[in-house]
Amino acid sequence: MSTRPSDIAGEPPEGALTSAEYVLGVLDAAARRSAAARIDREPAFAAEVVDWERRLAPLIDEIVPVPVPFALWPRIQGALGMAPPPRRGESSPWQSVGLWRWLSAGGFAAAAASLFALFIATRAPEPTVVPPPPAAHELVAKMTQDDGKALFVVTIDANTGKLVIQPLDVNIPANRVAELWIIPAGDVPHSLGLVDPQHPRPISIPAALQGALKAKSLVAVSLEPPGGAPHGAPTGPIIAKGEIALL
Amino acid sequence: MTAATQADQSQLGEWLAAVARGDNSAFEQLYRSTSSKLFGVCVAVLTSRSDAEEVLQEVFTTIWRKASQYDASRASPMTWLAMMARNRAIDKLRASAGERAGAPIEFAEDIPDPSPSAMAGAEAGDDKRRLDSCMDQLEPQRRKLIRVAFFEGITYEELAQRSGSPLGSVKSWIRRGLAQLKTCLER
Repeated sequence: MSTRPSDIAGEPPEGALTSAEYVLGVLDAAARRSAAARIDREPAFAAEVVDWERRLAPLIDEIVPVPVPFALWPRIQGALGMAPPPRRGESSPWQSVGLWRWLSAGGFAAAAASLFALFIATRAPEPTVVPPPPAAHELVAKMTQDDGKALFVVTIDANTGKLVIQPLDVNIPANRVAELWIIPAGDVPHSLGLVDPQHPRPISIPAALQGALKAKSLVAVSLEPPGGAPHGAPTGPIIAKGEIALL
Repeated sequence: MTAATQADQSQLGEWLAAVARGDNSAFEQLYRSTSSKLFGVCVAVLTSRSDAEEVLQEVFTTIWRKASQYDASRASPMTWLAMMARNRAIDKLRASAGERAGAPIEFAEDIPDPSPSAMAGAEAGDDKRRLDSCMDQLEPQRRKLIRVAFFEGITYEELAQRSGSPLGSVKSWIRRGLAQLKTCLER
């Protein structure tokens, strides 16, 4: 089949865009099966499919990585008859290089003291946002973007389960909102609600997530449509992330 | 793609080639670098997390067995991997049809679609910027439907239901939108 430019400039004839419809994912089960069968036996159709995959592939950039449950890798190894290497038993749940990049990109080696200094220095003119001296069980996370620039600082009082997210220098595109997520080690992101890009915001942590308020949990902020992520999982790009540490 | 991910792409290509030769450790490195992104692709389509895990496992067993079929002249490694994950996820979604309860699709014209290029700007790669700029030229309804269809992998029928529009119109909007995109991208 051919899709001459003259065909597609106006009303595309029925069937002329089946390859595109297959790649986009709008065909129902039967039509999808029949398109998949054509890929196997019609090289021209298969080439159209590859072209459409290439055209639409940049949209994949917008999909936020989601931490994979720890148990999946051993399962895959088992399914393929590979013996899990011995060190696997004590491996960190951060099995994803993506997550490691998250952490190292933030340069999280920064000492707690310098975090604290950053916190005060950035917001010194506004006395209301200078945090009280750190008490025992105070946790903190510096949330950075990929180039290491700090966008938010999160402080957590583990005794009361209260969290405060302090924006430092944040620009949120119009029609987008910033949503805060907590990712306990080995778990998936859980929403902690929307973040004010201008002012510190106290957030009460639901009882079910209190256990996540500890060192090594991750916090991340994603951009979401107004009202927040519709299905309880991040849908937009992550603009900042950091690991929770004891102050 | 950012410069960083382009460098990653050539690394991914090397790992894929090594996996094709049966290299276990390259397979593990590939898994560590790509699984969270590919899981994100599956989770976007499949609201059931256990289905998404099942599909991801299937994707990686397929990668192990069929890495030799990767053709660098036709797609970047990440495109090949992500499209494979997407296709498997959509197949799974079709097999468990009827269970999904998606949010209504609103065609609010005053709310431009999330154009992450607005945020990513310099970060977005050339391909992404070109696609965004062609998407921006589409009528809002066409753009919205194409985006929802891509990220959620849902059928014309479900798009029609969720947007409250006649099936015929939804098909026509999407087909015309796709044709416009093709023309724009080939310009």
